Amino acid sequence: MDIYPQIAIDRSKCTTPFDCKKCLQICPQAVFAVHAVKVERFVETDKKVPGNYVLAAPHRDKCTVCNDCIRVCPVDALQITVPSPV
Amino acid sequence: MCYVCDAYGDGGLWYLNPKNYARQMYKVKKPGEKAADFGADPESQSGRRLGEIKNMRFTDREKFQELVKDANSKKGTGLFQIGQALPLQDAIKVVEMSYPVAAMMCICRKGVRAIEETNKDEYSCTGLGVGMFKWERWPERYRGGVHFMSVDEATEWLIKWNKKGLMHSIMTFGGAYVGGICNCDYPDCGSIRNRLDYGFEEGFLKSHYVAKVSYDKCNGCGVCVQRCQFGALKFEVTMDKANIDMFRCFGCGLCQTGCPRGAIDLIERMSVPALREVW
Repeated sequence: MDIYPQIAIDRSKCTTPFDCKKCLQICPQAVFAVHAVKVERFVETDKKVPGNYVLAAPHRDKCTVCNDCIRVCPVDALQITVPSPV
Repeated sequence: MCYVCDAYGDGGLWYLNPKNYARQMYKVKKPGEKAADFGADPESQSGRRLGEIKNMRFTDREKFQELVKDANSKKGTGLFQIGQALPLQDAIKVVEMSYPVAAMMCICRKGVRAIEETNKDEYSCTGLGVGMFKWERWPERYRGGVHFMSVDEATEWLIKWNKKGLMHSIMTFGGAYVGGICNCDYPDCGSIRNRLDYGFEEGFLKSHYVAKVSYDKCNGCGVCVQRCQFGALKFEVTMDKANIDMFRCFGCGLCQTGCPRGAIDLIERMSVPALREVW
């Protein structure tokens, strides 16, 4: 069963995370990660083109729900829900 | 000697064995595996396998712990990338044995903290060996370019990051092929995190050394405490001295190079009976 905080990232709002990087750098637990969607030969992916990079929260088991990322997000793309104890 | 030395060391330390720098060992792939990105190199294949196991912790915690145990029992089978902590003096020896040596950006810091390293003063990772000649094929992997260095420049460069407080670790690129020296810290580094947070051992083995405080020389200044990345070094208030838990120590030597009084020594792990099997 999933006992960890769920971090929902609205990718229609968060389009250029590698350029913005606010949540990535403020998180005390380094929960987030950013990666290029497609890697091409001889091409450096442009971080300013929307959709080239996506944000994910692979370490959300370390999330303390301090909500710093939500406060700092300029496009309101993040939402954290804590699973209710059974 | 660790199990990597047993398998690839020919009687000595595996990363000082010239065989492990031979071009023939570069990118040894496991047969029958499906290709991933970056031309299905051993690094991304290993990352994919670890990722599948790690994702299990969200759905089935017990199964996840079983899989970690299983992965640790398969050490040395080539399924996972081998990494090991290196003290500064050994990192310099590795650089002396490799050609070419290139500074490049750190992919862990790029992923976790979106840190972009765009020039030779910022690059914090080292690529070693023939693979570096192909960097232009994958500019996204080597974002910001690379900077080829002479041995002297590379030595200076390692000392620079050591002073700043990053620890060195050796990375392989298929089998025991020496492919790079990372300069790592927690929580940026993926390998340290895999070891400390999730318990994967092979990606980040402890070094062949272990740090020991000499209580006669330590005056309790506390400089070393902030340099330990592994929570092995604490300040013992009642004794007014630094204290190292040698079981937790990874032997990276950061506390030793940081100590202004030379009160910390790196001793050989094999000379401490209880630590011989602690990797």
